[in-house]
Amino acid sequence: MKLPREVYIAGVGETVFGKRKEDFEILGRQAAFEAIKTSKIDRPDVIQSAYCGNATNGMVTGQTILKDIGLVGKASMVNVESACSAGAMAVHMAIKDVAYGITECSLGLGAENHTLHRETGTAFTPAMNDIETVHGAVMTGKYSMRATRYMYETGATIEDLAMITVKNRGHATNNPYAWFKGKVSVEEVVNSRMIAYPMTLHQCCGIADGAGAVVVCSKDMIKKLGVDKPVRVAGSVVTSGPYHNRPRDITGDDITEATSDLLYEQSGIGPEDVDIVELHDAFTIAELLYYECMRFCKRGEGLQFLRDGQSTHGGKCVFSARGGMLSYGHPIGASGAAQIAANVKQLRGECPGYQVEGAKVAMSHVTGGGLSGTEHAACTMHMLVRGW
Amino acid sequence: MAKEEKKQRDPDITFFHPDLLEVPEDCSSPFLKGYRCKSCGQLDFPNLNPCPNCWGEEFEIVPLSRRGKLYSYADIFIGQPGLQTPYIIGYVDLPENLRIFAMLDGEVGSFQCGEEVELTVGEIRKNRDGLPILSYKFKKVNG
Repeated sequence: MKLPREVYIAGVGETVFGKRKEDFEILGRQAAFEAIKTSKIDRPDVIQSAYCGNATNGMVTGQTILKDIGLVGKASMVNVESACSAGAMAVHMAIKDVAYGITECSLGLGAENHTLHRETGTAFTPAMNDIETVHGAVMTGKYSMRATRYMYETGATIEDLAMITVKNRGHATNNPYAWFKGKVSVEEVVNSRMIAYPMTLHQCCGIADGAGAVVVCSKDMIKKLGVDKPVRVAGSVVTSGPYHNRPRDITGDDITEATSDLLYEQSGIGPEDVDIVELHDAFTIAELLYYECMRFCKRGEGLQFLRDGQSTHGGKCVFSARGGMLSYGHPIGASGAAQIAANVKQLRGECPGYQVEGAKVAMSHVTGGGLSGTEHAACTMHMLVRGW
Repeated sequence: MAKEEKKQRDPDITFFHPDLLEVPEDCSSPFLKGYRCKSCGQLDFPNLNPCPNCWGEEFEIVPLSRRGKLYSYADIFIGQPGLQTPYIIGYVDLPENLRIFAMLDGEVGSFQCGEEVELTVGEIRKNRDGLPILSYKFKKVNG
């Protein structure tokens, strides 16, 4: 389904990611205000609706973030929760408002302080009322099962998986917003602490804090604001994960495959035209599998695609150009919005030291929710295009 | 009412959920309970009511095979808050075309994709009083 009218991104903001002492509302406010200011909005009554993605920081997170900058009482606000997909889903809701003519200008943001409010030395755990969680499921373990099966079927090694971390942290070397960055060797990644075999510490995204925010507008509004580097939203898709308690191939990912296809259809853009992808690289194995799920290469050819350098600068498409979650860490509800913020900066040529030269099309992907019987409970994807 | 509330707070050393697992009192082997929809015939585990295929609300309980194939597994070294590590989780595919997520009883580093495993009953975690909660698990055949 095409968007009924054109939607543009006016401005974006993101915080430095990492273990932060500031709670979610401070981080969220910082990202939101940066997005508002870079949109050339100079007063608090322009934004007509706001959506806030968050997973663990409690109630009325959006209002808590936005009250101190004068948006409450003016914009309608809805708080969005879908685990890791929440931030991107908040941006999707803002896009929908503009696309359907409900608003001229809306804000989507994601903010999370995950480290201040949890027990250290434990793995991130899905909801305790889930049958798999009661039986010991953790996200690291679920992705490790995918990795183990992939290695069993293809002969791939831990060293192969580690190359994803090496690549993504290399991409982030000069990115001031990323947390873990710069040179790391395959050996260091493989020999780091074992979390859930074969996922070692450096193959897992850090449990982190941060925020990202995106202001979206109609074409008229973006002209009125005088934004000179418009980025068009070519597609924005949210899906829920199909339920199946039967044997299935977990080296594929039904929801990512379906959402990619919907996004390609909605945007009229195929994988061959995409310059940058930010995807849900919460664990190394995920990026490897998603090359195939997103149709950048055929089934079974993901590892070759990586080895041939097709997923980095100079290849077919730069995957995780900002460094991905393996560099930023993954503050659950924040990541999806921060991916979009980073992609907009890339399309505007505002990423000194980590710029993908000449990038015209950028895609983002974030799944959400370890729900039994689904690969993921949710998936949100966006396709952005430089210019009018 | 007050009596009922008190009862719920009593130490829980029984099974995680009686709809899932049958441990016969005559000491015969425990089994997982499959639910076959009486209107469309779809077999599910766990019980989904109404049937997601036809919204039927009547089911026949079917004992599921006690052996299946280990599709994949993970040795967990950093686990859930409150769970002792290491522990092992896996997906077991039963001949009834059902996939079961379960903890595996055995040594880390000892399982293989594709190997046959069989149902057992054991502790999956402690409740808030520190007493074991028992549920279904799988282990190596002859293990």
